[in-house]
Amino acid sequence: MRGQVLCYIPFGATAALAALAALIASIVFLRTRNFRFDALARAATETALVFLAGAIADGCFVLHSALGKWWTWDPRLTAALVCWLLFATCLMLRQAVEEPSRRAAFAAVWTVFASLDVPLVVATAAWWKPGVALPVVWTWPRFALLAVSAILAALLTVVRARRPAASHPEGAG
Amino acid sequence: MRFFRQVGVIAAKDLRAELRTKEAINSSLAFALVILLMFSFAFDPLADTTREISGGLLWIVFAFAGTLVLNRSFARELPNDCLDGLIAAPLSGAALFLGKACASFLLVLGVQLVSLPVFGIFYNVPWTRQFPELLLVMVLGTWGLTVVGTISSALTVNIRLRELMLPMLTYPILFPALLGAMQLTATLVAGNPIGPDDAGWLKMMVGFDVIYTAVSLALVETILVA
Repeated sequence: MRGQVLCYIPFGATAALAALAALIASIVFLRTRNFRFDALARAATETALVFLAGAIADGCFVLHSALGKWWTWDPRLTAALVCWLLFATCLMLRQAVEEPSRRAAFAAVWTVFASLDVPLVVATAAWWKPGVALPVVWTWPRFALLAVSAILAALLTVVRARRPAASHPEGAG
Repeated sequence: MRFFRQVGVIAAKDLRAELRTKEAINSSLAFALVILLMFSFAFDPLADTTREISGGLLWIVFAFAGTLVLNRSFARELPNDCLDGLIAAPLSGAALFLGKACASFLLVLGVQLVSLPVFGIFYNVPWTRQFPELLLVMVLGTWGLTVVGTISSALTVNIRLRELMLPMLTYPILFPALLGAMQLTATLVAGNPIGPDDAGWLKMMVGFDVIYTAVSLALVETILVA
């Protein structure tokens, strides 16, 4: 294990933070109907997906070096994959709804649904298949990596949230 | 009290409409049979290993066939603008949702109760040994499937690719409930009682059902008036 970067912990933590931001933005949107929070929720969901994909990819590498298989149904990998799919459906729903206010409301509701599922998914995956014990010690490089990736995620979210919402993507409408 | 009467009216209306046309249950039953047949091509249906994974197989059939019923739940109201009428009617969105969920629940459970003996015969699975426990698992799993499916049906009723979006939305959310149902069903058809390990799955399914019923009731109004 020495010398390995083990990015999956900081990346996963960043993804969790982004998902939390998406949940809060969605709830605030449902309360206020301010479309800035809708844009924020969308951007935070995208960021969560990017970092979760990174965490899954790195998790695959780590388990490959430990077990020699690219994919094992490790509880962390399984939970991460299901959560990734959950948040991907939020974006898919956005793409399928045409009318902006309805799209925002639907996506916010679905983000709440998906977020509620996350603790259940994590608990279920852990029950289903006990995993290989991997070091989950918070060392200084990891804290630094978490800080870097969290800053990157925040930047990415802000940049994406400022992008005007594509009301009718070409060819998809 | 008024709320539950409204729920009953909506559920009775949906059941009556479905039992007259039989469009959803017929296609759902036929689909369940087709999947059961397809599975028998994939592996030896009478092997002992098949019985070990039978819980999973059964719930894949239930989930696939269930979405056919759930797809129709709100889509049934599209012709003649019935959905607008229902939304404008003097009843809360929660009552409308719960009525529709109850009707779909009974229909999906009916489809399951028909396909279960067929499954038992085709795959030589002794499902009658612990039927009350199995029924409990089916009720809990099906309620989770129906609640999430009905809310997805309300979400997808007016959007593009409705039939495609509903399963895409429903299955990832259902991961905990379906996994629990699969584990418990596999235990039960293997002839083992529900032990202390499995009781955790049971609690998780109850929790899933309670959480999603509550959140759906709270948020369905937002979806319907959006």
